Amino acid sequence: MKLKTKLLAFAAGAMMALSGPAMAQDWAPDGPLTIQIGFGAGGSTDTMGRILGKVMADNTGWNIIVENKPGGGGVAMFTGLSQMPPNGQTIGMGVSIPVLVQLVQRGDQLPFDTTSFDYLGTIAKAELALVASKDAPFDDLDGMIAYAKKQGGLPLATMAPPQVLMMKATSRVKDAEFNLVTADGGAEVMKLILGGQVLAGFGSGEHVPYLESGDMKVIASANQSRLSYAPEVKTFVESGVNAFVDPVFFLAMTGGTDPAAVAAISAAMAEAVKSDEIAEIVKNAVQGAPINMGPEGTQQMMTDGLAAAEVLFAE
Amino acid sequence: MVDFATILAGFSDAFSLYNLMFVLLGVVLGQFVGAVPGIGPIMAMAIAIPFTFGLDPLPAIAFLVGVNKGGLVGGAVPAVLMNTPGTPDAAATALDGYPLARQGKPLKATKMALFSSVTGDTFSDIVLITISAPLAILALRMGPIEIVALMIFAFSILAGLVGTSLTKGIIAAALGLLVASIGTDPENFTPRLIFGFWDLFNGLPLPSVAIGLLAISEILHRLSLAHGNVRAAITVADTGNPDDRRVTWIEYWTCRYTMMRGALIGTVLGALPGIGSTAAAFMSYSMTKAGSKDPKSFGKGNLHGIAAAESANSAVVGANLIPLLTLGIPGSVGAALIISAFMIHGMQPGPLLFENQGRLVYGLFGAMLMANFLNLWVGQLGLRFWIKVVSAPESIIFSSALLLCFVGVSMATNGLFGVSIMLIFAVLGYVMASFGYSLVIFIIAFFLGPRFEKSIAQSLSLTNGDLTQVFKSPVAAALLILSVASFIWFLRKNVQDDAE
Repeated sequence: MKLKTKLLAFAAGAMMALSGPAMAQDWAPDGPLTIQIGFGAGGSTDTMGRILGKVMADNTGWNIIVENKPGGGGVAMFTGLSQMPPNGQTIGMGVSIPVLVQLVQRGDQLPFDTTSFDYLGTIAKAELALVASKDAPFDDLDGMIAYAKKQGGLPLATMAPPQVLMMKATSRVKDAEFNLVTADGGAEVMKLILGGQVLAGFGSGEHVPYLESGDMKVIASANQSRLSYAPEVKTFVESGVNAFVDPVFFLAMTGGTDPAAVAAISAAMAEAVKSDEIAEIVKNAVQGAPINMGPEGTQQMMTDGLAAAEVLFAE
Repeated sequence: MVDFATILAGFSDAFSLYNLMFVLLGVVLGQFVGAVPGIGPIMAMAIAIPFTFGLDPLPAIAFLVGVNKGGLVGGAVPAVLMNTPGTPDAAATALDGYPLARQGKPLKATKMALFSSVTGDTFSDIVLITISAPLAILALRMGPIEIVALMIFAFSILAGLVGTSLTKGIIAAALGLLVASIGTDPENFTPRLIFGFWDLFNGLPLPSVAIGLLAISEILHRLSLAHGNVRAAITVADTGNPDDRRVTWIEYWTCRYTMMRGALIGTVLGALPGIGSTAAAFMSYSMTKAGSKDPKSFGKGNLHGIAAAESANSAVVGANLIPLLTLGIPGSVGAALIISAFMIHGMQPGPLLFENQGRLVYGLFGAMLMANFLNLWVGQLGLRFWIKVVSAPESIIFSSALLLCFVGVSMATNGLFGVSIMLIFAVLGYVMASFGYSLVIFIIAFFLGPRFEKSIAQSLSLTNGDLTQVFKSPVAAALLILSVASFIWFLRKNVQDDAE
């Protein structure tokens, strides 16, 4: 297996050397192209990745296989990707924040950093909100903090380490206690809120139907900016807690991949992200519009994001 | 509330020839991938989802539901015929299904599995269609504390499966829990026992453990019994008695309470996200065995054993859609994939789904009922085919099964890492079984361990570590008292059975 890939890489290299600099439009994958998704089957990332793969395949005629490689919020997949030979056949799809937080917390144990990849672009940005049941005795973050102080603790559901760190930052700054319950994803957070076991929790879109039905209300935006669907609600930063997370769905390949391959694949991806199919699935998955920052923009986003995460999450 | 006209419109949408074709296609595909060791309906659904994009929503979702339901029926086939279950829940079916098949009655065993599977599934679908809203509210009330109590209760019932040696049972359970603790801890996200393998970050992959421990170890066992003679993997004895090839109405009818209990257990556990069909199948089996007048006949080909396991694990699937459709909460990976199909077609499961998409939801219900009938029909035809297949010589059957397990696990876990894990567990399973440790107890502990740990962590956080608060929840307190009672009862029963 390894020998074969090495031989293939060598053959590809030799061919490139002979043919001179290849143009992006000339490039086509030598065999099937694999998109590895850093999360399990059935979530937002998986659904968007599978549709993206299909649209790219329809547009280009390439053979594209989509696989799930869950583990550590994408860290398992990116670890594998960083160790592969850069043969232009494997693409990784993940979410920025979980990777950045792992890099800040245990970067010395990980075999990669943000410079280990050639970035292709982004698909969408998740809008992360802190929400509560409509009956909760508070309407905004300040009210929630005041209530937590009065009660000596407030049960609150999170679904990932960055949110835990945000709430711990809130505890530090505002001197309020929270009973943080870790849930398996946004759907379980909604269950805990609706069941009354917690008073508030984080949602990345799962809560929107409950906003429409009037069962829930938005307490704060966990993004750097306010939420597109609730522009009147303040962010954590505006309430005096200097913490935010901006999760972005992005794609990358092993660093050192043939630039012609990166250019061709990111062009194919950019074309796909403009399609109606992607617009529809992004709307349904994250309640927003597709956003493609392009290869340089994505690289910049990861570099800046790491610096921001170091400030926010290094205790 | 959805008005009657919408309901009728939905059902009439479903019962068109076009939809019927997609459901049929799904059921056939599902039964096939379910029966082939190592593949399974979940992978088939994940691969099929993007291709449903071009379809209308109803045939697309009907197709996926067909795959999911067909997979359940198919999953029992290798468990019964070869004792090589591909999923932990089918292991419960193998307990009595395989001995019956060995007695030369493979058709009777698989047909009982088929009939009880369809019965349990239809029951939970009817519950879903009629009273999903109140059940969903009940499920919401089951918070982390109640879930911990419920799981302790489930464990206490599973004590009935321990068998002759309590010590060995406890060791098997402890090993299962230990292996389940590999991976990220649910509270602080610290990697545990991963020894530098980031692939283990999310824990050991379930397909590797289940197929290695249950299927490959059994194949190893059979290989160790082979002495160079060519035998058929299974023999269909020609006794001249047609009743050995079918399930008579009387036999079906005498299992009615068993199936009702299984369907009820499956429906209740299915309505609660995350517990799943494995616990349901084994709880139902254990309760049926304990309640039977002849507990010694279990494990030797008792039809009640098959009926208990299959009715319960199939009932989970319909009930999984209760939290999904009413609250948007998936109860299993299969349900999560159906959510992503909803998202692809522009629908968000949740409180407004019945209001906004009532016609489609009732169309889906119609498709589910249709899938149950088709399951029965396709199953009747398919079983004969599978029995023909496994009548081939053992050397061919087991080498093909082995190959399919390798391929399936490497597909499900995306690579050879999962295959290595599978082989480790195959050897472990072979050794454990040889020394009389229960693989079933191990796999249940492994399967329920992470959920149990997470619920405990959530409960501790909610109660600030004060465990006495458990008794503030009447449901949790009642379940804990029941657990103690059932644990003592099962232990005494075990001792009595030994004494006899």
